Amino acid sequence: MTTLDAQPAARPTGVIHDIGYQRYSGPRLGRRHIVGALFLHGLRAAFGLGRTAKAKIFPWLVVGVVGVVAVVLTAVRAQTGEVVLRYAEFPEVLTILIIFFCAIVAPELASRDLHSGVMPLYFARPLHRADYALARLASLVCATFLLLAGPITVMFVGAAFTVGEVGLVWDEFGSYLGALAYVVVHAVVFGAVALLISSLIRRRAIAAGAIVGAFMLTTPVVVVLTLMPNATANQLAGLASPVSLVSGLGDWVFESTGEAGIGGYGPLYAIVAVALVTGCVLLLLARYRKVASK
Amino acid sequence: MTTISWITARGLFGRRRFLLLFPLPMLLVLLAAMSRAAGVDPGQWGSPIIYGLGLGVVLPVIALIVGTAVLGSEIDDGTLVHVLTKPLPRWQIVLPKLGVATLVTALTAAIPLYVAGVLANSIRFGLGLAAATAVGALVYSALFLALSLVTRRPVLLGLVYVLIWEGLLGNVVSGTTVLSIQHYVMTVADTIAPTTLLEGRVSLPVAIVMSGVFTIGFTVLAIDRLRSFSVAGETS
Repeated sequence: MTTLDAQPAARPTGVIHDIGYQRYSGPRLGRRHIVGALFLHGLRAAFGLGRTAKAKIFPWLVVGVVGVVAVVLTAVRAQTGEVVLRYAEFPEVLTILIIFFCAIVAPELASRDLHSGVMPLYFARPLHRADYALARLASLVCATFLLLAGPITVMFVGAAFTVGEVGLVWDEFGSYLGALAYVVVHAVVFGAVALLISSLIRRRAIAAGAIVGAFMLTTPVVVVLTLMPNATANQLAGLASPVSLVSGLGDWVFESTGEAGIGGYGPLYAIVAVALVTGCVLLLLARYRKVASK
Repeated sequence: MTTISWITARGLFGRRRFLLLFPLPMLLVLLAAMSRAAGVDPGQWGSPIIYGLGLGVVLPVIALIVGTAVLGSEIDDGTLVHVLTKPLPRWQIVLPKLGVATLVTALTAAIPLYVAGVLANSIRFGLGLAAATAVGALVYSALFLALSLVTRRPVLLGLVYVLIWEGLLGNVVSGTTVLSIQHYVMTVADTIAPTTLLEGRVSLPVAIVMSGVFTIGFTVLAIDRLRSFSVAGETS
């Protein structure tokens, strides 16, 4: 070892010292595993797992509220036999909480990396830009799905033990599966919009506000359009907001009760929903093609 | 004090983020004008636009963005230290910032609500809405300013208050309206210009007293928190 007070000329130059670190000679996992790890990390970060207690407060607050609602509904059904809320109505009633959950999680996944300028570190690995964006999106969609699918499963299990007959349990199971598909639609649409917004804003707090704003501001537009003295405008009003777009689509596919008042435009709602998600994903990919460090 | 106000105003207007505030009021005016032009009965569109969008979303969201930004952005980028090291009493830092936040929020929210009120009913209703909005801007700003000192995540906590407390619970559990700024604003507007469009669900004395309690209480809390403010960074 050279010491500090040694003559500079006597110091060896350009030597890498072997200071005894363990070498790695095992298999090196490729891009697929990086994406998988990124997805899993995103999913854990969504619920604050592996993070400080402070990061857990808001996600688990939402999980708690949704869970309590499901338990109360199950208990009411078990005691009185009355179905207060069908499975498919569950995500519709709790829309505000889904929006809030997306507003908590999406900035955590996208804005945080942008704010701390670590994007070059991700892309220094054999990870494509699209991989990063899609892994983040998958984490957000999956977390939102779990947020709703868990409580609905609780409701289904409670109901399955309440109704008693095998045939009725099968009916319940059918509507339970339908509700899960509806939850997937919710998670994909809300997640795509929320992640796109938060990928554009560096500050987490502002991104959260912008997500809530984007969802809440479009709702009154729908209300105004439904008041217009024109039947077509009324039936197409739901297209103006992601929230009513999803509920209109759900009305057409899963419930067909006609309560959303979309008339015969169900297929159009489906097309617009697909177009919205596709557009958001394409914009997200375009955003991450450009995004550099700061 | 004028210097602090000046710095705060420049910090607000000097950022691109401020442009985010303009779509909200414009949407409000646009929707009101559209409904009016289509000849829809104001009794139908007045409530969702003025109450649902104006007092329910535009006012709290603008107050949230502005109120947490006047102090929060300085905390975030660390420049608050420069202000804190000056020989100023803490109230001389908090009050100008509260004033700027109130003024900006009141201007951005009251003008579109005035226009919507005039389109819906009468000039008197518009003025009543504008005055009530100004009161609401003060109370909301005090609340969100204090929040930005109490917690590191003021916007999320503010959203919990606006969305869950005022939005969800305020309409389900009637008792929560006593602690809901939105309902104070409605009561004040309803008292100045009684119409069928808005219905205050709390009494006027409650609204006035609770507005005062909120404003003074949260301002004192903010001054107190700033007195023992720790600048150390933390990870979350």
